[in-house]
Amino acid sequence: MLSFAFWEPVAIFTLLNVILVTGLYVTALSGQLSLATAAIAGIGAYAAAVLTTNFNWPFVPAVAVAVVSGAIVGAGIATVTVKMRDFILKLTTLAFGEAVSVIAFNIEYIGGANSFTGIPLYTNLKVVLIATIIALYVAWRFDGSRLGLAARAVRDDPLAAAATGVSVRASRTLTFALGSALIGGGGAIQAHYVLTLNPQELGFFNSLTYIIFLLFGGMHVLWGPVLGAIILTAIPELIRFASQYRLILYGLVIVVVVLFRPEGLLTRTPTGAGRRRLARLLRLGRALPTPGAVDERAGADRVDAPR
Amino acid sequence: MTLLLQQLLNGLIIGSTYAVVALGFSLVFTVARVINFAHPDIFMVGMFAGLLAGAHISQNFIVVLVAGALGAAAVGYGLERVVLRPLRSRDVLMTLMGTLGVAIMLQNGMAALMSPDPVAYPRVVPNVAFGTGDISISSLQVVNFGLSVVMLAAASFYVRRTRYGRATRAIAERPDVAAAFGVDVNRVSQITVVLASGMAGVAAVSVGLLYGSAWAFVGLLYGLKSFVCMLVAGNRYFDGVMLVALTLGVLEALVTGYFSSSLRDAVAFFVLIVVLYFRPDGLFGSYAV
Repeated sequence: MLSFAFWEPVAIFTLLNVILVTGLYVTALSGQLSLATAAIAGIGAYAAAVLTTNFNWPFVPAVAVAVVSGAIVGAGIATVTVKMRDFILKLTTLAFGEAVSVIAFNIEYIGGANSFTGIPLYTNLKVVLIATIIALYVAWRFDGSRLGLAARAVRDDPLAAAATGVSVRASRTLTFALGSALIGGGGAIQAHYVLTLNPQELGFFNSLTYIIFLLFGGMHVLWGPVLGAIILTAIPELIRFASQYRLILYGLVIVVVVLFRPEGLLTRTPTGAGRRRLARLLRLGRALPTPGAVDERAGADRVDAPR
Repeated sequence: MTLLLQQLLNGLIIGSTYAVVALGFSLVFTVARVINFAHPDIFMVGMFAGLLAGAHISQNFIVVLVAGALGAAAVGYGLERVVLRPLRSRDVLMTLMGTLGVAIMLQNGMAALMSPDPVAYPRVVPNVAFGTGDISISSLQVVNFGLSVVMLAAASFYVRRTRYGRATRAIAERPDVAAAFGVDVNRVSQITVVLASGMAGVAAVSVGLLYGSAWAFVGLLYGLKSFVCMLVAGNRYFDGVMLVALTLGVLEALVTGYFSSSLRDAVAFFVLIVVLYFRPDGLFGSYAV
């Protein structure tokens, strides 16, 4: 059952999803949960596929173009949505995704409703592995950098961030552009493995898949969405023998995580709480003082009072 | 001219079903504060409950209808207790993901239980075509439209004139203040979800009769459109949601009649983008979320 021919495609699709969800993680770092992931990936994919198929470009420059076009699109969306309320931002990205899907549907040059076909096969496990490592490295370095910390500050409280000298506009635009660049590149690599592009796959439901990976794994640590993508891509494939019931199980897993681990699988343990728990465990009598420890859990932005 | 009239008629009839589903969707969103992506699949469960009743219990129209309503309401009750209530004060996307998980389970569960392909619906209402000149309407369309109008009127009456309807609006405005004035938020939310589900069940049976088949994945067609109707109208006035849903049905029918059916599903999103650009809170305003 676990022959190479079986698990190679599973591994490739899993890693492709890891690249895309890493892009979404970077975008969401400054508090922008985009519902246009599939559309941005699609733009990158179409751009690269047109270059390799119709102009016989080599693979790597085509992917580079996809990365750049992703960044441009991301920066564009961020420019429009930077002042929007959270809920309206999600809706705008949703509408953007559907609009891209409809536009792609009606352009004859890229196949329109009949899908874009004849894309050359360039992607294999090695390529995806290298791309995943690059994407994770970029996201990891960004995550720990000053810019990454600034983005988190903007997510947690834009006003306070602005007051300490962080530019909300610049931070949001940067994370959206960087995240979309990763997504665009991932989309291009995916297109050269799937070999066809269908406008319908740019829409809302596919974008929602990546949101599910992100929330499932936990959106506050880089390894959360990565784990989410791996589990949720691999599980349905590995239980293919129970094909009728695998999607039911998929739904069940999601519901159980939402109900019982509302912050996702991996969470950034708040240092204060962790230390207190440790102290209680070791019966130190008095808990260690943790002045100003901020609880990072979603919706609980309170300051823990020292006990 | 006949094409125009015929498409207007077809659009109104399709729109009336959209209105029932979209109304239930926005009632649940307003009271339980949850984007309930399982609502269209509760509609689907009602459709199959009616089908099973028609096949195994009785060919009586009323029996089928009641079975559809009860089946959907039962799923709605369970959903409220197990998923919606614990998720009430969570982030919008988290709740959306939870209900989407339920939707995936319902769709694929029904596909595994019955069939992944459309199943023939029992013919409990004779199909008779009426018509003057080139315009025709079938008895099934009349039943579908009539049931939808009755339910919309009943829902409108419920929200405006009854005790629980008033509580519904109070919760929509300010849940905390409503609770402070003695409104039992859990109870009202439960009643709202069950009523909205039952309504969807009745509409589902009439749609099943109209198209002569039930399909485990029928909810996908209605889900996103109900969501769009609610966003375009805003959830402050439920009559606005009905109006937008009817209009969407007519617009889609006109686009199908004059352009092509492939553009039909894009209409909703085009309208959404235009409306959200000019009025981010919807045409008739929204409660703060």
